[in-house]
Amino acid sequence: MESKHPTSEAPELLITRVFDAPKQLVFNAFAEAEALSQWWGPPGVPITVVQLDFRPKGSFLYKATMQGQTAHGKFVYGQISKYDLLEFTSSFSDEAGRTIRAPFSQQFPLEIFNRLEFSELNGKTTITMKGYPVNASEAETQFYTAMKNGMQQGFAGTFAQLDHYLSKLL
Amino acid sequence: MMEARRDVFQAIADPTRREIINLVSQESMNLNAIADRFDMTRQAVSLHIKILQECGLIMINQQGRERFCEAKLTQLKEISDWVDQYRQFWQQNFDSLDKYLQKIQSTNKSTGKPTKKSTTQSPNKSKRNKNGK
Repeated sequence: MESKHPTSEAPELLITRVFDAPKQLVFNAFAEAEALSQWWGPPGVPITVVQLDFRPKGSFLYKATMQGQTAHGKFVYGQISKYDLLEFTSSFSDEAGRTIRAPFSQQFPLEIFNRLEFSELNGKTTITMKGYPVNASEAETQFYTAMKNGMQQGFAGTFAQLDHYLSKLL
Repeated sequence: MMEARRDVFQAIADPTRREIINLVSQESMNLNAIADRFDMTRQAVSLHIKILQECGLIMINQQGRERFCEAKLTQLKEISDWVDQYRQFWQQNFDSLDKYLQKIQSTNKSTGKPTKKSTTQSPNKSKRNKNGK
């Protein structure tokens, strides 16, 4: 299926993914601690589920240890409609579950709202996932998109400057 | 008083500030020229500019008697960068979800049992099947 959307209406993040499994199974992978501990988390880093209260306003807390450093992550659930829809706000947290900023970047949003829709066709399940910063309104979302597009088109001299910055970052 | 944390998302939460960034991202402008574009006091515009400066979204350069505002592109780039990082994070998690799903389905097949949990069964009061594997 075509996944291009008009830029002005696109959420910050849109991912569509098909899994070769019925949607109950796919959905349950998000709903059960044992399942989450087997696949969720930073790539290649096992997580420990600290708490899972899978219901609206409930939360999921987990920790991951890499290179001797322990990071905590948190979801706070929004709407949950079994096998069809899952919403949650994700963030980093401290040990006590209080939301904190990403350890690796000041610019990473404090909280990200995630909405996952599950649909099944011929035994395969499609997840359509949308994500955007919690504090961003639609106008702001459009603003970043416009800025990003503007930069991609390049305003004469400034584009070269951006290029230069990027080459330093890489 | 609480420490006011300046972050880029907060900076651009205000429509006037977004408009200011839009203006100065096209060309450097001096403070007066920016203020002329808005139907508000110069002080109010200056305050918005100050916030943008504190967030690192614009830079102010003194040129003779004039102060010019310039958009800082790295910061703007970082605003959109989180999307790329986050996308990658989810793609990787979806990869491992995919593996997990394959694994549990092949386990179900090899034990010759259809998916236990999803089949409807009559309520079983005394015994709770904990799936002792």
